[in-house]
Amino acid sequence: MGLLDRLTGRTSSGDPLADDLRAVLSADRVRMDGAERALMAKDASVFGGGVAGPTCFPTSTAEVQAIMRVAAEHDSPIVPRGAGTGLAGGAIPLGAPIVISLQKMNRILDVDEANRVAWVEPGVINLDLSNQLRPRGFHFAPDPSSQSVCTLGGNVANNSGGPHCLAYGVTDAHILAVEVVLPDGEVVMLGGIDAEPSGLDLRGAFVGGEGTLGIATRIAVRLTKNPPAVRTLLLSFASVRDAAQTVSDVIAAGIVPAALEVMDQRITVAVENFVGAGYPTDAAAVLLAEIEGLDAGVDIDAGRIDEIGRANGATEVRRAQSDEERELLWKGRKTAFGAIAQMAPDYYLHDTVVPRSALADVLEQVYEIADRHDVVVMNVFHAGDGNLHPLLLFDAREQGTLDRVHAAGAEILRASLDAGGVLSGEHGVGVEKQRFMGELFTDADMGHQNRLRRGFDPVCRSNPGKVLPEGHSCADIQQLRAVPTGVWG
Amino acid sequence: MSSLAVADPVLLDFAADVGPEGRVAVAGGRTRWGLGGELRSDTRVLAAPTGIVAYAASEMTVQVRAGTPVAELDAALAEHGQRCALPARGGTVGGAVAVGENVVDQLGRGRLRDAVLQVRYVSAEGDVVTGGGPVVKNVTGYNLPKLMTGSLGTLGLLVELILRTNPIPAASRWLAAEDVDPAAVEAALYAPGAVLWDGATTWVLLEGHGPDLASESNKLASFGVFTEVDGPPELPPHRWSLTPEEAADFSRGAFVSSIGVGTVWADSAQKSLPDGPGVAAVAARIKKNFDPTGRLNPGRTAGC
Amino acid sequence: MDLKLDPDDLNSCVQCGLCLPHCPTFRVTGDETRSPRGRIQLMREVQEGAPVTLEVQEAFDTCVQCRACEPACPSSVPYGHLMEQTRESLAAEGKTAPWRQRLAFRPLAMPRMLRLGSSFLAVAARARLVPRRFGVPRDLPIRRARHTTSGDDVYLFTGCVMDAWQRDVHIAGQRVIEAAGFGVTPTGDVAPCCGALQAHAGLTDHTRALAEQMMAALSVDQRPILVDSAGCGAAMKDYGHLLGTPEAEVFAARVFDIQEWLADHVDALPNVTPLDLRVAVQDPCHLRHVQRVHLATRTVLAPFVRELVELDDDGLCCGAGGAFSVLQPELAGDIRDRKVAAIDRATPDVVASANPGCSMHLAAGGVPTEHPMTLVARALGVL
Repeated sequence: MGLLDRLTGRTSSGDPLADDLRAVLSADRVRMDGAERALMAKDASVFGGGVAGPTCFPTSTAEVQAIMRVAAEHDSPIVPRGAGTGLAGGAIPLGAPIVISLQKMNRILDVDEANRVAWVEPGVINLDLSNQLRPRGFHFAPDPSSQSVCTLGGNVANNSGGPHCLAYGVTDAHILAVEVVLPDGEVVMLGGIDAEPSGLDLRGAFVGGEGTLGIATRIAVRLTKNPPAVRTLLLSFASVRDAAQTVSDVIAAGIVPAALEVMDQRITVAVENFVGAGYPTDAAAVLLAEIEGLDAGVDIDAGRIDEIGRANGATEVRRAQSDEERELLWKGRKTAFGAIAQMAPDYYLHDTVVPRSALADVLEQVYEIADRHDVVVMNVFHAGDGNLHPLLLFDAREQGTLDRVHAAGAEILRASLDAGGVLSGEHGVGVEKQRFMGELFTDADMGHQNRLRRGFDPVCRSNPGKVLPEGHSCADIQQLRAVPTGVWG
Repeated sequence: MSSLAVADPVLLDFAADVGPEGRVAVAGGRTRWGLGGELRSDTRVLAAPTGIVAYAASEMTVQVRAGTPVAELDAALAEHGQRCALPARGGTVGGAVAVGENVVDQLGRGRLRDAVLQVRYVSAEGDVVTGGGPVVKNVTGYNLPKLMTGSLGTLGLLVELILRTNPIPAASRWLAAEDVDPAAVEAALYAPGAVLWDGATTWVLLEGHGPDLASESNKLASFGVFTEVDGPPELPPHRWSLTPEEAADFSRGAFVSSIGVGTVWADSAQKSLPDGPGVAAVAARIKKNFDPTGRLNPGRTAGC
Repeated sequence: MDLKLDPDDLNSCVQCGLCLPHCPTFRVTGDETRSPRGRIQLMREVQEGAPVTLEVQEAFDTCVQCRACEPACPSSVPYGHLMEQTRESLAAEGKTAPWRQRLAFRPLAMPRMLRLGSSFLAVAARARLVPRRFGVPRDLPIRRARHTTSGDDVYLFTGCVMDAWQRDVHIAGQRVIEAAGFGVTPTGDVAPCCGALQAHAGLTDHTRALAEQMMAALSVDQRPILVDSAGCGAAMKDYGHLLGTPEAEVFAARVFDIQEWLADHVDALPNVTPLDLRVAVQDPCHLRHVQRVHLATRTVLAPFVRELVELDDDGLCCGAGGAFSVLQPELAGDIRDRKVAAIDRATPDVVASANPGCSMHLAAGGVPTEHPMTLVARALGVL
């Protein structure tokens, strides 16, 4: 916008798409400037190459629908965006799409205790929801490490996990219904708050769709009762293998803790520097185990985990003595990824799942692979689910480092698949793992996934270029990337 | 990649039976045969292959062919102190997943659809297709297991599943009392396996560690006189899907409500409402994408 | 353009986004250009040659500099310093801090002129000649009690605007310290201004000059320097970084927030009947996120009021931000609305705020505020 336009209050940008968007929102909620677009081109992942179109800040379902209709008229792709904390590049805009930020749709609409459900808008922060619910005796169970930032809409798109999903299940077990603006502009309610909504489980298919199936504008989340008793144990081990074996043995013993998290020594040192929670920095690995339930049972299970840990050579078993101590331990675990910037300016956080009995073997391979590629690796992971998060540290300014990091990452993925695992436990595929999809699925398998996608979005309007690899429709990345960019593009 | 292709000859033989043409359906125990409309009479009806393929008790997962009776699976799991979320009513594993109904003690065992980790089905083209994955946590790609669960075989014919299992609690006990407020009972307990109510009697399934059962029983005593019973009551034949609040307020004929869940078993059928036009359009597109000629379970529609 | 930012500092941000909910401007706008992560990215882009457009300038100008992002940051990104340096570099290019802002800050270092001007303003405010959005209190003092020295145990830093507008807080603080058995020297006009507002605006050269002036005046001996304005205290504790000299480090180590210092001497205060008030503690950002001594306020207040309550908004900024509430009135108002809602939920009789800017901003929003020292002095009956 030129000075003259500013002075005269004219809002024409010379861009028909932006003009039409401004007509359905308001001028101040459609941003076309370079600064905004530069920031919208990124999320929390290491992936670049995004190019954002106009950024919109709708405040209602009707506005999202209006944006979607403008997109359809202009045949423009769209990408929904929550807090931009994704690590697989799922929110990176490809094909200069309209970026639809759901940040301003951040109201908790209704807490319905009788039906054990809360209706929320997609921009509500995960932790804010639980903080609001907790005094009423409930919480929202999925607790990704980014829970203080990430939004429910993002959780739905990624089918997010978190440490406490071991006992409670990931996001899709906690979403009862979703109001969705489909890529053609239709507004539909998927699922319902009744016990067994009839018809195809389109709600279940939508959760985890990574923004490619439409935009969630209202979400019915299940309320989980707060546990009457919680026990938190911190076990120290002289080797990562001992910690991993303890995890396998706990699960095999029929105990289902609320969370079983392992951190290796390197990450424990970084975390301890940040939170000062009293994590033992001399242990090769620590296991954070949490048991939730009724008073007597949590003590029984804590005692059994203690025994299993000691049988596997635990050098120390500490029990959190207060809520403060417990919260500090968890703060350490949940800020682990950020804390590593103390050690290197860049990191690449992987996310694979292996059978729990294969944890120790795969971890050994992870260290070996990283060594061979001359990359520093740290491990912090949801051990109870077999969900590994190898963290590769590097400095992108060093020539050639990123290539080594990607090579090591690819080998780690293959080691996980060889052990009978999968590509992602909670971060999703995004742009990160498309090229590996063919190592887990046949063409026919992926073709069927595409059938699901096209059922929601026959024209590939929503978040194109994600999830399915090139060669499948809606995934022609080269073409999506061939959008001209200028300064601030 | 050929190395990923399903190699189990049993599954491949079944796929060959299904073939690429002709109307076809699979019968399990026929316990819910009438759901979704009447099958066209000129449909070939097959039986899915049977057998437990792999049971990793320490992983709490089981790989089982769709034709396996749920009772057989339950027996195998029980040997290792485990159970699953499939209802045992005389049917098959594949039938249970295709129908998607939950067990009566859903609060304890979880929802069926949350237990389906991987599906293998024969597509309308006659290929064996895999969706999901063998581990307990997985967000790799689109969620075909969810789409297949409850789809009544209209998108693909289930041939093999990987299911999540759970440990059988150390102790469990069914209790019943007259004239107590079932919703208040359910709210007061931390994790009951089930709370059922027929308008007069409230049944409660307590599960967990022995000492916790004792303290939860004490809590119940403040509501009324609970006595131990053998199990849940006989359930009326028709299944209603209501909100928990509606289920706790049900009053039509003979019924049993699942409190905190919303399922009601009643002596009359629930009047089902058709999907809205938007949802119906998505469902129709998906059906067309998966089964363009309409050869799978013709006559049936998921949700009728 | 070269913002003269330390590349290692810039690179320490890994874009995890954990800062976002702690940023007041992001909270009320949901806009990444109004967030620490976004602003750091824009710094990088500018540093690498992108032009400083109007929107980039706005992204930087709208930062309150509350620094709540710093304790939230697991990578310990020195955001406050990055933003101050950015503003300094932009100011040097004439891109920010226009002449009227420079002119407005000048009287801060001229105590007599400031007090005279304030008295005129007080008269004008009473006559309702000052637009409400400027947040000037209607009860600004026209005359002030004189400062008196009671001993040489500690300095009490009196500063600029606060001395002109809220000298009663200084006097309350002095009486409380005296009640604990210490003699106080108010610094008065020998150290007229800490330079915090100038530093926030990128006018760092002014700040350095003021810092040197203060150090010269207060370094005859090594006694503690107590500060009852959280913003001033934070700035003075940063002199070591600002000037980069050992002398400045030594000086900065002598600076204490008045509550911080009193927390160690609270037992020396007499036992009295607490005020019959339910008091909500509002933590000034520069006390909580920068000095990180906000718990001391509770230690000091607890014996002297009936009940202390915490706000449930995780210490989010109130929107005052030094001159921010005047420069960005709309954003500051939106941020204050959130804070007022949190205060309403806590249902206090009065809000204790240890920073003059916060208390004036909240008062303009209809919230009854008092400085913790005023509450303690009232309980002690020394006012």
